[in-house]
Amino acid sequence: MVKQETMLDLEFRSWLLEQPEGETLLRCYQCGRCTSACPVAEIEPSFNPRLFLQKILIGDKSIAENQLVWNCLTCEQCEVRCPEHVKIPHILILAKVRGLMAGNVPLAALDRARTIISEGRSLSVSSPMLKTRTKMGLPDLGTPSMDQIVAMLADIGIVGKLENVKSVYGDAEDE
Amino acid sequence: MSKPRTYTYFPGCMIPYRLPHFELTAREVLKKFNVELETHSEHSCCPEPTTFTGVDFEAWVTIAARNVAVSESTGNETVALCSGCFHTLAVANHMVQEDEELKKRINKRLKKSGLEITGKHTIKNILHVLHKDIGLDVIKKQVTNPLTSLKIAPHYGCHLVRPLEATHMDHAENPQWMDDVIRTTGAEIAEIEDKMACCGAPIMPSGEDKALTITASRLDQIKASGADAIVVVCPTCYTQLETQQAKVADKFETEYNIPVLYLGELLAFSMGMTDIVTANQRRFHRVKLGALLEKIGGTP
Ligand code: SF4
Ligand code: SF4
Repeated sequence: MVKQETMLDLEFRSWLLEQPEGETLLRCYQCGRCTSACPVAEIEPSFNPRLFLQKILIGDKSIAENQLVWNCLTCEQCEVRCPEHVKIPHILILAKVRGLMAGNVPLAALDRARTIISEGRSLSVSSPMLKTRTKMGLPDLGTPSMDQIVAMLADIGIVGKLENVKSVYGDAEDE
Repeated sequence: MSKPRTYTYFPGCMIPYRLPHFELTAREVLKKFNVELETHSEHSCCPEPTTFTGVDFEAWVTIAARNVAVSESTGNETVALCSGCFHTLAVANHMVQEDEELKKRINKRLKKSGLEITGKHTIKNILHVLHKDIGLDVIKKQVTNPLTSLKIAPHYGCHLVRPLEATHMDHAENPQWMDDVIRTTGAEIAEIEDKMACCGAPIMPSGEDKALTITASRLDQIKASGADAIVVVCPTCYTQLETQQAKVADKFETEYNIPVLYLGELLAFSMGMTDIVTANQRRFHRVKLGALLEKIGGTP
């Protein structure tokens, strides 16, 4: 049991290192400047980017299922201050990706992703809004070929994932 | 008049379908400089960089690269008015430039629709177009109604500026381009503490309390500067600082009443096109513009 956990952990770390810009993780020497520059850490002491990176570095994958990672603003204040140019918010993004199937995804993020995959926009385009555009003299923008977009994503498997995933967030407000 | 300079305009979702007054004023202002924005129907959601990335990064970078490839097929440079779109396209383009394997993998997917991303395409935001391509002196010549009575707080927002290697902006912590453009209108720049602070919007879906706390701190900093208005480029910052402003004031039992303008609206004021802003103010501005318009001699 323990052995299997350890293997899974290393698998998470090596997956992350293989992703574009994932290997920047290895440059982190734990100085903590990211945390001192982070506006979320300032108001929420349990949000600690340095510690998150430490966990990933030693192969602890718990961060992927920790809801705190979704509190990252992707503001890059940390990255600007990092002496080693570690792509910190990007590494947290990769952790989020690994937590998807365990449901570590806010409902609004999931809804948005589903709208993007089905309609090609992050929001539903209403007919009153189309009328407003015409009234303002703005051109019709057309619609992208969704069949092509979905076909292009086939090998990634996102369509199936979005059908199956259940968010662990805000079940109370949900129904 | 000579042939207009044409950009491929990447519309995204928020500006065309939530805040079309951004698009309207940008188009009208750019027309003054003989700049045209052309669209392409194959452009989809960029996809937005704050949540979709964390759902499936590989899908995000692939769809983003497809949008860049669609742009490449037009032969024009691309301008994205929305900072989220700009960031997504610029970052994906940069990643493809830097990572041969990623480029190969994505082009294999794009081939099915006859598209290709080279990594060489230029992605711009409105500041690149105004500051670099048009130029401050040329902008100044169109200012017929100088806004010398106004003190403006430029709120850049994170995704417009960072990361520099992809955005090709002037500075990651102390950018100046929006300040420079605002100064051409005659307005004064308000000195705000923490120039590059975040508006808080990206974590609204996962931690609304924390998001609004960050928004309040941003509004406090701006209020302390004595600015008459905030000027933004990004529609998401606009939603957070403008649309949510009353909610933030209520929550923290304070008052702000700071008008928020899109950069194109400020430029429209300075170029005698106040009417294109006032015609849509009720629908898109919750914070009343009355006092501001009086100050610049327009009709509220
Ligand atoms: S600032 Fe950079 S090197 Fe220092 S702890 Fe953070 S990520 Fe690691
Ligand atoms: S990008 Fe995330 S971790 Fe970095 S400073 Fe911003 S909120 Fe903090």
